[in-house]
Amino acid sequence: MKFKAFLTDNGVSLLEKRFLPALDKMGRTCHLFLTREHAIFLHNLLNGDGIQSIAQFRKEALFDDYRISSQNDDRIAFSIDLSLLHRALRSVITIYAEFSGTHTGTGGASTSNRLQIKLVKKLPPHSQQPMPFLTFETKGYKSAVIQDVPISKPLSRSDVLELQAALDMAQDLPRTLVQVPDMNQLQNFVDRMKNVGDLIDVSITKYGDLHLQISTTLITLGAEFRKLTVIGEQAQVPVGDRDLSAQTRTQRAIQKGDAMTVQVSVKHFAKSLQCHLAKPDCAFYGIAPQGACLTVIFQFFIPGTRQTDKSISLHCRLPVLDPGSS
Amino acid sequence: MSSSAVEPEAPDLVCQLDNVQGMVDALTSVRWKRHQDAVVELSEHGIVLIVEESRCLQAKVYLQRELFIRYEYTAQGRPRFGVSLGLFVDCINAFSVPGHSNTIEIQYPGPDMQLLLKSVDSLGACIYAEIRTRIPDMVSWDYNFEPAGSSPLSFTVKSAALKEAIDDLEWPGSSIQIILQPVPPSVTFRGEGHGDLQIDFMYYVNTDLLIAFHCDHRVSYRYKYKFLRATTSNIPGSVIKDNRGSKLTIGRGGMLKVQHLVSVARPSIPHPHIDSAGYQQPSRIAYIEFFVKPEEDEATANDS
Repeated sequence: MKFKAFLTDNGVSLLEKRFLPALDKMGRTCHLFLTREHAIFLHNLLNGDGIQSIAQFRKEALFDDYRISSQNDDRIAFSIDLSLLHRALRSVITIYAEFSGTHTGTGGASTSNRLQIKLVKKLPPHSQQPMPFLTFETKGYKSAVIQDVPISKPLSRSDVLELQAALDMAQDLPRTLVQVPDMNQLQNFVDRMKNVGDLIDVSITKYGDLHLQISTTLITLGAEFRKLTVIGEQAQVPVGDRDLSAQTRTQRAIQKGDAMTVQVSVKHFAKSLQCHLAKPDCAFYGIAPQGACLTVIFQFFIPGTRQTDKSISLHCRLPVLDPGSS
Repeated sequence: MSSSAVEPEAPDLVCQLDNVQGMVDALTSVRWKRHQDAVVELSEHGIVLIVEESRCLQAKVYLQRELFIRYEYTAQGRPRFGVSLGLFVDCINAFSVPGHSNTIEIQYPGPDMQLLLKSVDSLGACIYAEIRTRIPDMVSWDYNFEPAGSSPLSFTVKSAALKEAIDDLEWPGSSIQIILQPVPPSVTFRGEGHGDLQIDFMYYVNTDLLIAFHCDHRVSYRYKYKFLRATTSNIPGSVIKDNRGSKLTIGRGGMLKVQHLVSVARPSIPHPHIDSAGYQQPSRIAYIEFFVKPEEDEATANDS
């Protein structure tokens, strides 16, 4: 079982500035699943009923000179503490940047100074048992640095298969997706809603409405966003719908089969919005068929264009607490 | 008004406010603990919210009708209802999302006696809320505040300094003595408990701190620290930032009145100049009043 690669500058900034801060909010530990073509960060796919998040990078998005081999079809998976990974990466970068900074313009710097990442087994101090680590290695102008991030034992063959199966399962797309108008604003709102109740009803219509509502015995608090961009199945807004209340409109849409409602935890919903730390270019919410889960899909553009960068993908699946009336 | 007979009954009050944050600030300033029941009273003059604790502390928030951009009041008498203050504040706070229209419409009662709120004027997005109200069960016990004598016993101090002084008095705790004396003109806060701490505000030494002072004879009363603290613990940041003053008056029997002014000015209108007293149009100010009863023994000693 071997893994060795060099992180590219783009890969460093993607992870350090964007994805690790976002993924850390999903949960401190996650699985890192490495295949011949992809590196995937997975939260809660095998265990638990928490929010699932899947951040997938094609190897070229993060690495060059990517080498992986294992007896399990060249797949390796282990769990890792994201805050340790983030700290290690930041520490390595300070040395790495120092070197690159002083040598820019000399031309040879980018090839001679590289940031290597590899899997190793080491004997930690005061221990008889060698332990697995994900190791970062680089050299600076006057110093070199090695950062060892402890990881779990690599997952067994059956666990890797299970992880792969769960990953395949998590790819089903909702029939209708609506685009979130302004993630910051929505996050602000949901953060304030959190004080009022624990469960939130999320309704999505084929007309492009996103309706959020918290309802307890003492209070009902809701927000409706309309005329959003729809991807997938759409429908015309019924005539005479305009002057109705948000609740009535949603009810009617559900009766006509033009909408679905699910109930999720407000905490999960707020967490899913934290993904905007990864600086996606847009975000879409949708409800999986049969109301199996609430899915949020983030889209990343190739810098300077409005074309989707297919080498990066991030989506979350929020467990549904009540199958709803859909 | 003959048409009103055929229409469904008009609500007692429909009003619109264009500065939600100001209302949140004003209400938050009387939120000294997590679960508080408040009584809201509506009238043609505005909305008053009252909270009370242990028959020793009462706070009132006056939201005068001038604060609202629309205020349609049709009720007979003065409708009152009970509401959870925490829920009410958290709920209104959801309307003050940055970058969103900050105008809300408040209506009472809804079909089921709820308090109805909704955002207005926001394109493509709408926030709404319904808060269940109760029949107010709080005994209407008025904190009759009467002047102590012919001349007032009062002082005005910078809100930030008052808050700081009261926060510092946490250490001795339990019971705080407030002394006003004319010679030299000064206000003293003294705490005796786990240790002694005395804070003096001298009128002539620092007129920036103690803005006004009226006292013709020495008075001294003791107040429970936790009640005193409640009067400044949630004073909004805007009050501190605007460098406002808080007025404290001692009335008959040692009843302490603490008044703060909270700005409900429209945030989009920049204030080119705010002078040191933080003066703004009076119509855009919410008045907050606290009434604190003194501890018993000291009160009788003073009255003799």
